[in-house]
Amino acid sequence: MTAPPLRIAGLHAGYVPGHPILRGVDLVAEAGRITVVLGPNGAGKSTLLKVVAGFLAPLRGSVMLGDDDIGALPAHRHVALGIGLLPQGRSTFPDLTVEENIELGGWSMRNDRRRLAEAVEAVLTRYPHLRALRRRAAGSLSGGQQRAVEIARMLVPDPRVLLVDEPSVGLSPIVARQVYQELQALRAEGRTILLVDQDVRAAIAVADYVYVLGSGRNDIEGDRSAFEGDLGAMVRGWLGV
Amino acid sequence: MLTHVLSIVADGVLLGLIYAITGLGLSLVLGVMGIVNVAHSAFVMLGSFLAFELFRRFGVDPVVAFVLALPVFFVLGIVVYRVVITRVQSAAQTQGLVAMFGLMVLIENLGTIAWTTDTRVVTASYTNASLVLGGVVLPHVRLIAGGLALLLIGGVWAFLRFTLTGRAIRAMGQNPEAARIVGVDIARLSAVMFGLGIACAGAAGVALAMVFPFSPNTQVVWLAWAFLVVILGGLGSVASTLAAGIAVGLIQSVCTAVMPFDTVYLVLYVLLAVILTVRREGLSRAVRRTI
Amino acid sequence: MFSVFLIPKATGSRTAALAAWGVWLALLAGLAAYGLFGTRLFVLSTLATVFMYVVLTQAWNLLGGYGGYLNFGLVTFFGIGAYTTGILFQYHELSPFLTAPLAGVAAAIAGLAIGIPTLRLRGAYFALVTMIVTFAVQILALDLTITQGALGIYLPALPLKPIAVERLFYFVFLGLAVLVTALVWAVEHSNIGWALVAIREDEDAAEIVGVRTVEVKWAVNAVTCFIAGVVGGLYAQRIAYIEPTGTFAFDISLNVVLMAVIGGAGFWQGPLIGAPIVLLVADMLRVTVTSEVNRVIFSMIVILIALFVPGGVMGVVSRWRRARQPKPEDAAASGLPAP
Repeated sequence: MTAPPLRIAGLHAGYVPGHPILRGVDLVAEAGRITVVLGPNGAGKSTLLKVVAGFLAPLRGSVMLGDDDIGALPAHRHVALGIGLLPQGRSTFPDLTVEENIELGGWSMRNDRRRLAEAVEAVLTRYPHLRALRRRAAGSLSGGQQRAVEIARMLVPDPRVLLVDEPSVGLSPIVARQVYQELQALRAEGRTILLVDQDVRAAIAVADYVYVLGSGRNDIEGDRSAFEGDLGAMVRGWLGV
Repeated sequence: MLTHVLSIVADGVLLGLIYAITGLGLSLVLGVMGIVNVAHSAFVMLGSFLAFELFRRFGVDPVVAFVLALPVFFVLGIVVYRVVITRVQSAAQTQGLVAMFGLMVLIENLGTIAWTTDTRVVTASYTNASLVLGGVVLPHVRLIAGGLALLLIGGVWAFLRFTLTGRAIRAMGQNPEAARIVGVDIARLSAVMFGLGIACAGAAGVALAMVFPFSPNTQVVWLAWAFLVVILGGLGSVASTLAAGIAVGLIQSVCTAVMPFDTVYLVLYVLLAVILTVRREGLSRAVRRTI
Repeated sequence: MFSVFLIPKATGSRTAALAAWGVWLALLAGLAAYGLFGTRLFVLSTLATVFMYVVLTQAWNLLGGYGGYLNFGLVTFFGIGAYTTGILFQYHELSPFLTAPLAGVAAAIAGLAIGIPTLRLRGAYFALVTMIVTFAVQILALDLTITQGALGIYLPALPLKPIAVERLFYFVFLGLAVLVTALVWAVEHSNIGWALVAIREDEDAAEIVGVRTVEVKWAVNAVTCFIAGVVGGLYAQRIAYIEPTGTFAFDISLNVVLMAVIGGAGFWQGPLIGAPIVLLVADMLRVTVTSEVNRVIFSMIVILIALFVPGGVMGVVSRWRRARQPKPEDAAASGLPAP
């Protein structure tokens, strides 16, 4: 099963009228690839992901998932279209158990309880260490375990497109590495992954294609090989890493 | 002496169950949605008059009125949410407070036009009957009202704990952003939550009408009671609301036994101020935004 | 949050501002002249009540309008003031005109007692507690011996003709209204005013930039209650009889909120517009409908204003004024650097 590509064209978006943060972003995220968006602070990386996830309506331009324009849809409708979001920072429901957290990932399947139960079961099989923790309150887990809960919760409805926002923030290097490995495993399953990251090294290491966002536009792009050589050093220098 | 103590305790617990459901709707709406509903007791008053009218016009038993109040007030709550709260949710909190204050005045005065300020009572066939257990007199109305309240609390608790929708409501209270990410339509679920809160208020009004006389213009007293239960029990937790309700009931029944009736009110108001001072940290953290 | 910075400090041109001041001063002069030469008892008495409510609503406006902390039970402090002068007269034969400041102090102390626990929390708790505390104070007034319970306290009528009494209170309340409006104007243009607006718009941010939010709220609330207490103390003399139900009537709390919301909370002109509108409309309605219908109408107006017309009359006026100002976008388009 192949995932539909995500195409963003001429995207303008912002919070205060008259001061758009994004001023014409064009990018394509293909199925089975990790598309990375880099950029300095304030370039609009998080804003871009907010628009794609439906938390912010675009002022102009389009966000196409396959043949559908999803730009105007509110956030909660995205799950049913097969889009999953792994937001920055912590996003578990701390007072619910791990199992309840994961089950809520399948909220969009709530009218088909059997399918929901199977999906939860499948995710728990995929991450067996979560099965052992399933009666624990999510808020009582370590940062890495909570990240695992968030990834598991995102995967319950089997999204074909994953939006990932700085997945390693606040995690130990070992856990961060596991998260990037997991992203590669998800790519191998043919999913479309759009990864926005500050950790340039780690992101380029898993990237298939890279866009660099500067002051609201994508300036530079290329596949990973282009960024591993001299251009990589240049971009790193430019980003101040 | 022992029977005296036992009957004070029994009285307090039964009253406390009713107070618990009076505070439950306020607590849930505040805990999950961060909305301080200053019109809460106006809906409680409407619940009392629902019982009154059903009994007067059709001879319907308050127990039936209690059950009927739940869907009726659920729908009323959803209407209020859609008409009033969705409009002020993104605005300054003062606007929301003013709107709900206006709604309280509106309901109270519509109530006064419909039913005057006369004090009313609801009498059922078993109003004067009592169960005597080892010398302790337990009036049937209080047993029934307390029992209904306990059932409602159990039902709400089970709903929030064991159903997917209930868990989604709790999830929304803990992290609304993440709830949207998993696909929860916040506006819709908030409407359900608010409807549930108002349904509890209406049912509480029926239970209170079984036990106490009531009139449209004394409803704010129940706001004080509900609020006392909420700040004593903390926000959004059904179990602690139950405990807080029983505590308030016991305090009242003990005070009633040893001092004049009016003074009991003062004791409870002082208690309110004290708890508010002591618990402020917990209260400020829970309220993200208020209406 | 941004709206604080977007409101231009000086609106309109200099001539327009002068003209507005001229209108206010002419109105004041006209009212003073009517107070001196007017002969209709009913008009004098109604206007005196309007002025009294202007004072109360301005007091409410300080914390409620600028700070966003809504006091839904201002009558509590008004009533405490009335009982203070009433009791001081009853037991010490002191005229309320002398003891009105003490009435203010008593109300301010009560305001602190309620404000200290609730004003550390966010606005909704304060609103709720002020709403329910009126009942407790009313019960106290009914139960204490010093207040003579439901019997109430009689104050002797002033040894003047009825029209002279009304004329006296006309000027007392007009004077207070001018004084308190000047105070509110001064606060609006001071650091306290900015602190209050910052609290209303974003309290966390206000705290971060160093506003001592809790202390500001306590102090301003005490001032609000002080003014309400003074007015209550004078009111006791005006109606010459106080008892728990009438003195702590919820209607007074309600009227103040109505006037502020309709005129425009958070504008010094708001109460000046809201108080006459509410009282005169209520007076007109009184002939045709019961007070319940009256309150139904006003509560619907308040809901509609809260939902659709934030800022009441003054909100509309200030938006209209702002619309005539050059917009920030135009400034950006003209080549000025964006902020």
